[in-house]
Amino acid sequence: MRRSRFLLGAVSGLTIAASTDSFFAKALAAPALPGLPGGGDDRVLILVNLQGGNDGLNTVVPYGMQQYYRVRPQIGVTPHDVLTFNGQIGLNPEMKSLKAMYDAGNVAVVQGVGYPKPDHSHFRSTEIWQTAAPDRYESTGWLGRYLDSADLPETNLFNALAVAQVLPEALIARKVDVPAIAAIQGYALSSDKMAGERGAFSSLARDTRAPFSSPYLGTVAEIEDHAQRGSEELPKLVAGYKTDASYPATPIGRSLALAAQIVGSNLGTKVIYVQHGSFDTHAAQKGTQDRLLRELSDALKAFYDDLAAHGNDKRTLTMTFSEFGRRVAENASRGTDHGEAGPMFLVGGGVKGGIYGDHPSLDDLDNGDIKFGVDFRSVYATVVEKWFGRPSAGIIAGDFPTMALLA
Amino acid sequence: MTGTASPQFRPAGSLNVTTALSPYQGPWNARLAAHLLRRAGFGGSPDDVARTAGMPLDAAVDALIRYPKADNLPGAPALLDDHYVEERRMLAQAGSRNADDASVQQIKMQIGKDRQKTNVSMISWWMNRMINTPAPLQEKMTLFWHGLFTTSVFQKGITPKEAVDQNWIFRNNALGSAREIAHYVSRDPAMLKYLDNARSNRAHPNENYARELMELFTLGIGNYTEADVRESARAFTGYSVYGPLRGGGFYFNQRDHDDGVKTFLGRSGNFDGDDIVEVIYRQPAAPRWLATKLLNFFVYNEPEPQLVDALALVIAKNNYQMAPTMSMLLRSNVFYSDRAYRSLVKSPIEFVAGTYKLFGLTAVTPETLGALNRMGQVPFHPPSVKGWDGGATWLNSQTVLVRENFVNYLVTSQMMMQASTWLTMGPPPTAKDATDKLVGTILQGDASPASAGKLEAYLDGADTSALGQLSGENFEERMRGAAYLTMAMPAYQLN
Repeated sequence: MRRSRFLLGAVSGLTIAASTDSFFAKALAAPALPGLPGGGDDRVLILVNLQGGNDGLNTVVPYGMQQYYRVRPQIGVTPHDVLTFNGQIGLNPEMKSLKAMYDAGNVAVVQGVGYPKPDHSHFRSTEIWQTAAPDRYESTGWLGRYLDSADLPETNLFNALAVAQVLPEALIARKVDVPAIAAIQGYALSSDKMAGERGAFSSLARDTRAPFSSPYLGTVAEIEDHAQRGSEELPKLVAGYKTDASYPATPIGRSLALAAQIVGSNLGTKVIYVQHGSFDTHAAQKGTQDRLLRELSDALKAFYDDLAAHGNDKRTLTMTFSEFGRRVAENASRGTDHGEAGPMFLVGGGVKGGIYGDHPSLDDLDNGDIKFGVDFRSVYATVVEKWFGRPSAGIIAGDFPTMALLA
Repeated sequence: MTGTASPQFRPAGSLNVTTALSPYQGPWNARLAAHLLRRAGFGGSPDDVARTAGMPLDAAVDALIRYPKADNLPGAPALLDDHYVEERRMLAQAGSRNADDASVQQIKMQIGKDRQKTNVSMISWWMNRMINTPAPLQEKMTLFWHGLFTTSVFQKGITPKEAVDQNWIFRNNALGSAREIAHYVSRDPAMLKYLDNARSNRAHPNENYARELMELFTLGIGNYTEADVRESARAFTGYSVYGPLRGGGFYFNQRDHDDGVKTFLGRSGNFDGDDIVEVIYRQPAAPRWLATKLLNFFVYNEPEPQLVDALALVIAKNNYQMAPTMSMLLRSNVFYSDRAYRSLVKSPIEFVAGTYKLFGLTAVTPETLGALNRMGQVPFHPPSVKGWDGGATWLNSQTVLVRENFVNYLVTSQMMMQASTWLTMGPPPTAKDATDKLVGTILQGDASPASAGKLEAYLDGADTSALGQLSGENFEERMRGAAYLTMAMPAYQLN
């Protein structure tokens, strides 16, 4: 027992006194992860969902295109405010932190990402991005299929995690139960405070020796067990993580702070999903979108400062996505309606900084919307193959070439 | 939707298809009566279960099928639609272009408040109806149709009144004809807005409704072509909706309608939308699709194709009438089989409404609505046009924590303290008697001896210094804790 405790302390710096029979102890007693570039097993993907449909044209601004100012007379970003990448495009002026990371070579911008026959429904298009299946209904998410294929330890409750109230479809897997945790504070059984009930609960909730058979009995008992133990142990497991990083006091700031804590606590977590929004800016877009982009940019800066201070930045890749971009022309309410293609950002570990894909034409449109140049499944396939080192067949249906985004 | 390679949640064991739909002749008891009430309704109080078990099975099913009028239930809430119209008019006058104007912001804030208030009142109204109705199968079928012919309030400008009007289509035709419902839905303002048909015209037919009608509501992928989608979209052009300032409501816009010849599923004619519905319900795939949906909702998941075919035959013979179909299904061998028993995951609505009914509680609280939302199911708000996926997707560690915490909230709530429920009535029993009562009433005995023993030890409190022994002093509190623990057992998550 002493030895175990010693190992726990040595590996992760955790201050908890985990008992040896805890399966976490076994997971944590594994050798320390190297945290080096090119390392395999320790890599983490942070997926940031920009909910509601982020307006790509005011994020990566084509300030060199005259047409942009003709279709965006009210909400177009003034040229001298743009944080320029080159003579044609640049970032929204609120994204100074991200621009600095780009200048340091840590950000890849993929332009004009979308899929054929784009759907303008938030729900369906979100589902398409989450399942990577534009042409059919798929019951598992693309990252769920990755988790299923990756042969991860079944004893680990935190192979992946969503910082959300409800598990996003991207993480729905067949074999792996992914917890959705809105915040450490809310992830608890309220009865834990009641004397005597906690102990009784844990054995009752996972009892499968019921006098009936049900195809769901094992699943229910397993999830009850995971929920109960996970909610009890996670706060302790991450409690030893100390940080000096100053995150913005925003929802995305808090989500990424939790993500850094989980990455830094070496729980074997492969994917962390966070969300940010809402970007559904049908009216008075500028105030809302500028604020959200600033929050994202500043939170990412704090996140990577935090990761770097603990040597975790090179093994942590962050990718943003949104269900669609928005209509090219602004509407009468100084907003934009649902559109099609938009940009994605890849930040941090493994990224070969730069601009990928062409900026979509603002003249050759699909019913007022940008046409996509890069299929999002190519980006996903790149992450699966080059970041996680898994074949993308069986995870991303169809044949999508990988890109040179990642080293 | 695309089907999985091998069924994951189909019950073990094999199906005898020749007797599956024949009347069940086996023993009838409280356990099966509770099963019937959970599936055909939202469960019941101990008295409800005892009353149902006291009738012959046939009478119990008849009582569900030939349900009484539910006129004594509160009507739909005042939905503030008039306020919406007035506010929109004000908004139009104030000039929506000038979005930063203070008066416009004021009106918008008021709209947001009214919308939230309306939302809470309509959801509460339906939940309370499910809990208190004397016609539970009517509400259960209403929920079934709502999950099949989905529409989500507030999206695409759907007003609360339109969403509730659609809800009444389902309730009024709960055990009527599926085909008739499809006809009504094809002229329903909420649906026509939700799937963009309201703006479809001959020059630019919108395919959304036409596609989902076949893909999700009636036939399933593989039973029609893209050409059928395009042709039926033409037939539905002109099925439109008046704007809120003109009072809303369906209207057929002759000018927008394409009355040319369409070729649809092998037939040609100058079809309109109603003709399309008729052609669809002549496809062999239509009764099979409905049978699959009914079996997944009422019997077990991933039903065998032979069982689907057998029920599809019943549906076709009964011309899509649900009363005879459900009457047969709820009396059938397969419905009462060990394979069907506890083979479904309770939806959040079933979980919440069932727990309310169990304790005789009658009115949902804001806390309860919040819990429903975090469990992943809010009436009138299906997440997408394909409704709720159900089954395993209801369960993850977060939603299960919400379920447990909801139960804990409920058993310790003021509401529960004030209600005189069976849980805390009568003189304090022994720990053994209390255990039998809890496991019998809440789980119909579906707990292992080991778990019952753990529960008894908790009730007794003899072994734990923290609790102290069961006494008249701590009886009520201990029973509440024990009820919570009983509902933490896996059986309580299963229907």
